[in-house]
Amino acid sequence: MSYLEYTVATVPSGARKILYMNWPIVILLVTVACTGFLMLYSVAGGSMQPWAEPQMKRFLLGLLVMFVVAMVPIWFWRNVSALAYLVSLTLLLAVEFFGVTGMGAQRWIDLGFFRLQPSELAKITLVMLLAAYYDWLPVERVSRPLWVLLPITIILVPTAIVLQQPDLGTALLLLAGGGIVMFLAGVSWLYFGAVAAAAGGLVYTVLASRGTPWQLLKDYQFRRIDTFLDPASDPLGSGYHITQSKIALGSGGLTGRGFMQGTQSRLNFLPEKHTDFIFTTLAEEFGFIGSLSLLSLYGLIIVFCITSALAMRDRFSALLTLGVGATLFLYFAINMSMVMGLAPVVGVPLPLVSYGGSAMLVLMAAFGLVQSAHVHRPRGR
Amino acid sequence: MRTPLRPLPRILEARARGENPDAIERENLRLRRESQRDRSRQRAEGRLTVLGMFFVCAFLLIGFRMGALAASEPEEPRLLASASSISATRADIVDRNGRVLATNLATHSLYAHPQDMVDPERAARELGRIFPDMDAEALLRRFTDGRKFMWIKKTISPEQRQAVHDIGEPGLLFGPREMRLYPNGRLAAHILGGASFGREGVHSAEVIGVAGIEKALDERLRDPAHAHEPLRLSIDLTVQSAMRRVLEGGMKLMNAKGAAAVLIEVDTGQIVSMMSLPDFDPNDRPRPLTAGDAGDSPLFNRAVQGVYELGSAMKIVTVAQAMEAGLVNPSTTIETKGPLTWGRFRIRDFRNYGPELSVTNVVVKSSNIGTARIAMMIGAERQRAFLDSLGLLQPTPVELIEAAGAAPLLPPRWSEISTMTISYGHGLSISPLHLAAAYASLLNGGTRVTPTLLAQDAPDPGPRVVSETVSEAAASMLRQVVVRGTASFGEVEGYEVGGKTGTADKPKPSGGYYDEKVIATFASVFPASDPKYVLVLSLDEPEETSGEEPRRTAGWTAVPVAAEVIRRVAPLLGLRPAVEQDGETLLSRASN
Repeated sequence: MSYLEYTVATVPSGARKILYMNWPIVILLVTVACTGFLMLYSVAGGSMQPWAEPQMKRFLLGLLVMFVVAMVPIWFWRNVSALAYLVSLTLLLAVEFFGVTGMGAQRWIDLGFFRLQPSELAKITLVMLLAAYYDWLPVERVSRPLWVLLPITIILVPTAIVLQQPDLGTALLLLAGGGIVMFLAGVSWLYFGAVAAAAGGLVYTVLASRGTPWQLLKDYQFRRIDTFLDPASDPLGSGYHITQSKIALGSGGLTGRGFMQGTQSRLNFLPEKHTDFIFTTLAEEFGFIGSLSLLSLYGLIIVFCITSALAMRDRFSALLTLGVGATLFLYFAINMSMVMGLAPVVGVPLPLVSYGGSAMLVLMAAFGLVQSAHVHRPRGR
Repeated sequence: MRTPLRPLPRILEARARGENPDAIERENLRLRRESQRDRSRQRAEGRLTVLGMFFVCAFLLIGFRMGALAASEPEEPRLLASASSISATRADIVDRNGRVLATNLATHSLYAHPQDMVDPERAARELGRIFPDMDAEALLRRFTDGRKFMWIKKTISPEQRQAVHDIGEPGLLFGPREMRLYPNGRLAAHILGGASFGREGVHSAEVIGVAGIEKALDERLRDPAHAHEPLRLSIDLTVQSAMRRVLEGGMKLMNAKGAAAVLIEVDTGQIVSMMSLPDFDPNDRPRPLTAGDAGDSPLFNRAVQGVYELGSAMKIVTVAQAMEAGLVNPSTTIETKGPLTWGRFRIRDFRNYGPELSVTNVVVKSSNIGTARIAMMIGAERQRAFLDSLGLLQPTPVELIEAAGAAPLLPPRWSEISTMTISYGHGLSISPLHLAAAYASLLNGGTRVTPTLLAQDAPDPGPRVVSETVSEAAASMLRQVVVRGTASFGEVEGYEVGGKTGTADKPKPSGGYYDEKVIATFASVFPASDPKYVLVLSLDEPEETSGEEPRRTAGWTAVPVAAEVIRRVAPLLGLRPAVEQDGETLLSRASN
């Protein structure tokens, strides 16, 4: 059913929309972001510079973006989703040619005032387009091969570009995020079974390609896999991150060492302590209770996304809301797993907590979409 | 099972009732859509439940992991895993009495992670203040050129470490670092050589020998199995110290540009003391000279690497061989009328010694003509074989990396004239260590010794080179050189010094010889009646200027210095001065 069938009269309009927003999600997002500010303040040794203050400014900007996006009717976003997807693809290609190389990978476009990471943008526009696609596609065609091939192409194009930047973490997020939307849209189990089998085969091929001339991953990526499987094999080399973060978690204990008392992260044991590995600081300073609280905050955001989606009548809104929720889930689940040695180190930030502009702004914009779907959902009757 | 949109019975029924049959189709379509929507919704909710369960599982997994890690004891990373690839262990080196010559000192290295720096400019400025040899601007350039790692100092003192620590820059880091320390400085510089860092890591660095015994026995010193077992040398630090002091003074007094001395135990070949001047501090090894003569570098070990024609000191070798072969005895008369002409060569003596001399006097007066005539009796082949048996034709096997490269210079063709010149020390270039080992072999009763720097308790005697009788006779002749010959300044009361001088013109690099540049050598043995030690002392370009004319011969230069060395060193070696009561009669018996 499309929005044209809505009883539009029951949709709030004007400034009243603000009242109809999903406020629990807003409060949760602000809480998580504040945790992030505290951590960035702490890793800088009790200083707003160089990380906490810019992060706050960006979050305020992100909040503004969220509200603006939320005020725009969801059907507008549905109509521009294909365009948004194409724009992000263009930017992804542009980054290949004009991008700034950082940490061994080309990831940014320098816009002067802001360094845009198009791969972040792609995560959300991909979810948007897929949601719009399944909204448009009659339900009975969802599992027909041709109509499955199309969304797979939609997912694989940005994934391929991102993969060869190379940014394994984002590529995995794109693949998984797109896959979840397809799964929710009701694509037959058979396809997922086939993909799982193919993925198994691919993993085997990639591992077998090691050391051969057609090696499919860079050496550092292979080393990360090795380290994941046995971090102790190289505690000062590639295993350093994981070993150190495990120490930090261990020394945090139940209640932690207390705010600003962390040693592992603040004493420079960890590179990227303010980005991908910021969770270690939290775990060390606030212990198991702090870590579990953050995990619960994220969990609550997901729960509110799901309940919001259940109340929606159109597929676009529901799929989009669930897709955004799933993307958030993937972010923090992969990041925490990676920090705790449950997954290989793939370079995924902790959403809203890790220092970084693009990821935060894009995530806030995505929650703007969720809010828009929530605000403009049909009410009554 | 799908319901048809236009079921014929109902259409017909409707038509019969006069209703629009399309309404039925619309109704059915609506029902079908609704049921479809319900099914898709059901399916979506089923899918959502599956996803939700997956989320819950992931949450539980992560939560449990958090709990497990929080409950775990923080465990420091095992440094050994990577440190073991770079082994910093290196055994100490001690002298024969166990006094430390080389050891390791735990210090710190200083390195930087420029990307972690808070204030590179200040860090560079402060480092420039702490280490005056570093340029702050150059440091800042290197801090800011994008590199992720750089060494700043390989070893720093605790005070410097504290000062760097006080900068408070998180990008400046320290690593433990063992460095090689030579507590006696220059004292045994050429023997020890020196060490530097091989593979370096921030947690340890390999210390490798670069010269001397550190390099020659690098494997042994780095062998982890022997890491706590010091390498004991035959050197006696006290003797080395006394000898260096005398030699340095003597070198200055005689205006020499260099000096070398070797003191060797005649019975075992153990080197008690060996040095070359000028020397260097192995803690701060100078760079090799890039231009000019390598022999002028303080790194050059004259005692081992300096191969020169050592002159008349060789005569005793010739005479000993002739006696061993039964060709002469100490009182055999040798014709010394000069000059001796052989082809276009003429051999002269320093002074005319008359028409004939006894073999003893050939040595005592140092007659080239007499020695050459004795060599003629021996012949080229036998001479060559004998010199070889004394080790004079091969590099010395001493445990210094430099020794292997210091091969004696032999005549290209061992002709008759070569035989004659070699007999009195020209035409064969050997190092002072070669000569010391040859003297020790001749005078210890006649068994070959191999010079060594390693302390050995009881080495097996080498093969016999001359009989004991010849050995005794040779010692006695050398004693008379001091008592009444060219080395009269060599007398040290109570120690019965014997010896033979040698003064050789230095060769020009372009060919030919300098007129006024000589190598003055004194090869001595003490006590002559029961030889215990051989001392070979050599001065490079000495000039004794107390007289009207500068005197360069060994008798005026090397001999007095050697005598002073023996005077100082003999008591340290535990030799008792003996009073020579009937020395005169003993000598006259030998000379007759």
